[in-house]
Amino acid sequence: MSKRTLPRLLQSPAVLLLLVWMLVPLGMTLYFSFIRYVLNSLRRPEWTKPSLSNWRGFGNYEFVMSSKDFWFAIQNSLFIVCSILFATVILGILIAILINRVFPGRGIVRVLLISPFFVMPAVNAVLWINMILDPVLGLNGLAVAGINDLVASLQSAPLVGGFFSLWPEFEPISFRATQTSAYAVIMMVTWQWTPFAVLIFMTSLQSEDQQQKEAAVLDGAGVWSQFRFLTLPHLGRPIAIVVMIQAIFHLSLYAEIEIVSRGNGNKNLPYLIGEFANNNIGAASATGIFAVILANIVAIFLLRMVGKTLME
Amino acid sequence: MGRIVLDKVSKKFGDVEVIPPLDLTIEDGEFAVFVGPSGCGKSTLLRLIAGLEEVTSGDVIIDEEVVTQVPPSKRGLAMVFQSYALYPHMSVRKNIAFPMRMAKVDAAEQERRIEAAAKALNLTDYLDRKPGQLSGGQRQRVAIGRAIVRDPSAFLFDEPLSNLDAALRVGMRLEISEMHERLQTTMIYVTHDQIEAMTMADKIVVLQAGVIEQVGSPLELYNAPCNRFVAGFIGSPTMNFLEGAEAAKHGAHSIGVRPEHIAISTTDGTWKATVGVAEHLGSDTFLYVHPDGGGEAMTVRVDGEFAARHGDTVYLTPTAEKIHRFNDNGLRIT
Repeated sequence: MSKRTLPRLLQSPAVLLLLVWMLVPLGMTLYFSFIRYVLNSLRRPEWTKPSLSNWRGFGNYEFVMSSKDFWFAIQNSLFIVCSILFATVILGILIAILINRVFPGRGIVRVLLISPFFVMPAVNAVLWINMILDPVLGLNGLAVAGINDLVASLQSAPLVGGFFSLWPEFEPISFRATQTSAYAVIMMVTWQWTPFAVLIFMTSLQSEDQQQKEAAVLDGAGVWSQFRFLTLPHLGRPIAIVVMIQAIFHLSLYAEIEIVSRGNGNKNLPYLIGEFANNNIGAASATGIFAVILANIVAIFLLRMVGKTLME
Repeated sequence: MGRIVLDKVSKKFGDVEVIPPLDLTIEDGEFAVFVGPSGCGKSTLLRLIAGLEEVTSGDVIIDEEVVTQVPPSKRGLAMVFQSYALYPHMSVRKNIAFPMRMAKVDAAEQERRIEAAAKALNLTDYLDRKPGQLSGGQRQRVAIGRAIVRDPSAFLFDEPLSNLDAALRVGMRLEISEMHERLQTTMIYVTHDQIEAMTMADKIVVLQAGVIEQVGSPLELYNAPCNRFVAGFIGSPTMNFLEGAEAAKHGAHSIGVRPEHIAISTTDGTWKATVGVAEHLGSDTFLYVHPDGGGEAMTVRVDGEFAARHGDTVYLTPTAEKIHRFNDNGLRIT
């Protein structure tokens, strides 16, 4: 037995397990995406069993691509993911820099800041849509009603009354409506995932070399130059990590979309897969393959972009 | 120009006074070395001059101008750090250009100064590399290059050689000395290594616990240390101190004799001693000997050819005019 055979033999169960874990579902998805396979059909009962005799070729893919929500779902997936990434990275950097300073109660503030990350996604969505974004009972509705009341009371006031009577009555935004439900999802996921970004950026900020900063101060760099030329490049790799991990997670958002509007006006690819999977497993599998391709394109694109802008 | 005056400068961190008020003048073009054991406040003193720390009281004066409230970048000083503090994401060229970029020097002038600095420091071939791809000595040169292009009124070095290996340290020491001869700019150099201090300085400032023990040229400090601390700190191997009866013979509380000022013989002499360890360096041999009749072990520097082994009996004779005498406060008796 050569020197390398034994280690390889010992590794092989783990490697095999991982391979099976990954390849079997992928293979089955590919297989189902090329056959007619439905859960329930009175008209064609033979389609309810997966079988090669039900071969459909690229038929499922054509069916999915021509379904009315497919392109919208792709576009919406990208819109949601990119918006969340943009917001969490910017907020994450700002908050991380803020709490990296020394102030009393810093430990407690840090724990509080991290806590949204421990809320379950479905709970997060229920809390946001009912307690904050609801146009009547949520903070959204209460705040708008409060402003309207204030304006109304000022309209009868002397001097400024004339000015305020020109004001219209404000309408609270309904985040369950078709045009706005994506924004609700973006808000709640951003709230939940900003702590993740803060956590990673904060650890990175703490490892920043203080002598470099002192050298930069002596070289005449102001606060902004220090941030632009030292801190931001230093954060390049953590930003890439945050973007990668979040892109993968948020391409598969489901609970929030389900709870906010049940997919009305706000579908992404996973939600579309869920809808197809109510009956048409073949179409759902084909959509799944599209989702895999989209995830890969997004990952490569994002990595390149982050790498280029920050690591020169 | 770069005449730096510290006027009753003191520094407290909270309630701890690390530097009691002190006065010091460093003349234009001088190479001053702050030397002392770790924690003696030498780096803090340098940072006070640079403006990286605020003075608690007193004034820092550069070229007759009080700069105590002036921000670090406006003091016209350049600093080289122990860890080099290069900007890791920038190429060598951009590192050197950074202070000029911050000062909005025009591009052609930047390029000219970078080329000149790179040529002087043998960095021309490395301009497009990142700091991570350079050796320790090259990184140190880049840090110096970044300081040179600013054309500062004084250079501040904070233990710049302590991260380098021994051979490289000697080389860089020579380069820095040569640079000082060429530029004739004021340099302040902080080190805990008395050999660096002796070899490079025009003026050595010996510090202990934030207090200046003595200021003088290397040879002044070597020949006439004003107290026991300076006497023990300057010179290698360190001075031998004797107290009690031997010191009383010379009318002092303690006397000090440098290892190189002791004559050795195998037949007769003032003190009889037994060899403990002999360190053969080739050019010299350092003998660590135990005086017969007790007392502290002493170091003797003898010729490299002198044959001595553990357990040999030797006789030591100090050179009378090279004996340093100290009173019971450790101060020099003249």
